[in-house]
Amino acid sequence: MSTPDVMVESLGVSFRNEQVLQDINFAVEDGEFCVIVGPSGCGKSTLLQSIAGLTTPDSGSVYIEGQNATKMSTQERNLGYVFQEFEDTLFPHMTVGENVAFGVRQQPEEVDEEELQKRIDELLEMLAIKHTKSDSPSELSGGQQQRVELARQLIREADTMLLDDPLADLDYKLQKRMELEIRSVQDDLGSTFIYITHNQDQALKLADKVIVMNRGQIEQIGTPNEVYYEPATAFVGRFVGDSNALSGSLLDVDEDQVTIDTEMGPIVATNMNDATVDESGVLLIRPGEVKVGQAAADCENTYDVSALGSSYMGEQTEIAFDVEGYDGEFYTIRPGKVAFEEYDESVRIGFDPDAAQFFSKLSTTNTVSNNDILKL
Amino acid sequence: MTISQDHEYTDDQNITTNRDSILEVNNLTKIYPDGTIAVEDITFEIAAGDFCVLIGPSGCGKSTTLHSLVGRFPVTEGEILLDGEDITDVETYKRDIGLVFQDFQLFPHLSVVENIEYGLSQINIKEEERESRIDEMIEVMGLEGMRGRLPEELSAGQKQRVALARSLVLEPKLLLLDEPLGDMDYKLQKRMERELMRIHRNMDTTFVYVTHDQTQAMRLGDQLVVMNDGKIEHSGTTDEVYNYPATAFVSTFVGDSNLFSGELVSISEDGTCANVDTPLGSFTCGTKNLDSPPKNLIGESIPFSVRPQYIEIGGHHENVLSCRVKDVIHQAGSGTQVIVDADRPGLPPMELQAKSHKQLTIDTDTVNITWKPENATLLERASVLPDIDLEKDILGE
Repeated sequence: MSTPDVMVESLGVSFRNEQVLQDINFAVEDGEFCVIVGPSGCGKSTLLQSIAGLTTPDSGSVYIEGQNATKMSTQERNLGYVFQEFEDTLFPHMTVGENVAFGVRQQPEEVDEEELQKRIDELLEMLAIKHTKSDSPSELSGGQQQRVELARQLIREADTMLLDDPLADLDYKLQKRMELEIRSVQDDLGSTFIYITHNQDQALKLADKVIVMNRGQIEQIGTPNEVYYEPATAFVGRFVGDSNALSGSLLDVDEDQVTIDTEMGPIVATNMNDATVDESGVLLIRPGEVKVGQAAADCENTYDVSALGSSYMGEQTEIAFDVEGYDGEFYTIRPGKVAFEEYDESVRIGFDPDAAQFFSKLSTTNTVSNNDILKL
Repeated sequence: MTISQDHEYTDDQNITTNRDSILEVNNLTKIYPDGTIAVEDITFEIAAGDFCVLIGPSGCGKSTTLHSLVGRFPVTEGEILLDGEDITDVETYKRDIGLVFQDFQLFPHLSVVENIEYGLSQINIKEEERESRIDEMIEVMGLEGMRGRLPEELSAGQKQRVALARSLVLEPKLLLLDEPLGDMDYKLQKRMERELMRIHRNMDTTFVYVTHDQTQAMRLGDQLVVMNDGKIEHSGTTDEVYNYPATAFVSTFVGDSNLFSGELVSISEDGTCANVDTPLGSFTCGTKNLDSPPKNLIGESIPFSVRPQYIEIGGHHENVLSCRVKDVIHQAGSGTQVIVDADRPGLPPMELQAKSHKQLTIDTDTVNITWKPENATLLERASVLPDIDLEKDILGE
């Protein structure tokens, strides 16, 4: 096995006696796109800062290219870092083009000016800010400044890039476009990317490897498919992707299927954590796998319900149902357009056991309750 | 209950509803003292009880429109009718319109109940009526057990509900929401969107919501008013705006689109489809979004758009294009996005997107993409703005 590009071992960080990160262990391979995702306050930014050498851990180690970097300065670690707070990092007296060129000119090697300008143009064009090349950073919008910062880091072609939610402030259209660009840049450079975001949709789209965090600990490390289809805990299932959630306890185990006692009645589900009879936990049902009308007839779990409303979103339609016993609205998402001529009449919905996942393990931290998961 | 699920669209979906309109905006213009024309001669109406979303890029005039409805400043020209009554020159507090801000702006020193009660104490209603309205709000918003809490003791979701309750308790004819979910975490935003729709369904109030986020607009809105540079590009139901966009701007701003441009060669005898010659080849398009087949444009350059979801990799539809596969993005839970390049003689390759809600496996370097004529939407013009350049301003080429 080759040496991982970045390895974090038993890392712990606390601020003013409050444990912010606890026993963090993971490795990012050379050339891998790793996305760390979690709700605000989960510790993901602190983790990135620890890798960058901007935060001193209480315990544990950070290895970069096989070398123990825990005590190295930020400079010695030689990483590219795109901050979320980027305002102070651009030089106000230089143009955008000069800002991007700055890092390259600082290198001891001779610079081929023509080659450099060509590279800058390519990067600025890719980030849709080529027309700002001769402008001063103060003339740019926040989103544009952020892209200049991104270009400044990308041009260094560092072996390892740390990115702190670089697309968070961009408007929707630009965000979608930049997601594709960032994917292809990472591919072209072959660098290792460690990228943090609160947007799980982006995480699933960009990552080779996803690390899901909650309350200072890692909940799961896996491919996007693993964290989406085989979540390790109820937290991961609820946080990554969309779900209807309800509390329940295990009534009966039948090989790989289980029956869960819930407010909606008994539900045949998949046992995600080898739960045993009487164990309680959370049941998650993905709206995209709940069928409606004729298609629901053959499902293992079926309900006669009334529709409360629907919203057609172009690629798909989301429908809210009133299901007896379910607290709140029960959601279904179907591809294309689903039109209701009338609401309030009875319609059948249904889902199979593989669409209903039962978790007896709520989280890796023991401070999470059923209610915390339901409210997520 | 009847359910239809398809990608075919029937004519009756284009009929405008004849429900009463609660708001009419006629020929509204707002020019700021410095000469900036923020909104120019816009006209639209909103049906009573609808969830209407004003959407457009920053600087398009959507916030100015919202502020005109509230009466934050005098308008330059035009009139605003609320429930048939001209309110153009009526003072803000007499307008019967509620407003919810992005940061909610709750009174920090007042409890949940006091925040909700505040507006009621400014108007003359009986004690019992006041109590019963507050109780109803507490129930609809699910704020039982939080009556005495201060705003700082509430979660973001609860704050939103208090802000909504504070406005809705006054039973306004219109509730305006100015990007209230702008700064939230992705997950919380999605939850709050559902919450807003639930509350809207349980109230009779008409909602007008301003955002630049087109996914949010599609999800929340019954009706969309798409704005661009002070003008309305398209006002209609989400279905009309998405499937029958009025302009190329609308088709690219709301939802994803592959935008083509070419010469309109001919229109079929029955007027339902048209042939367009592009640098990529000749294609057949539907004309259903247009009022009448654009016979006057034969021989002229015209754009058309195809949504990625209507493009099939392989498939046997009438329009066929050979492309090189650039990127295949599988996204757990939402299918596959395919990015391809199509070669054009004498021009750089054109990037196109296809999207399927199924997981696709693509193991070749080149593919044929195909689509039905009725899923290609002929667009009469690039934008309502006269000086917009399709290639430069909309496609960014």
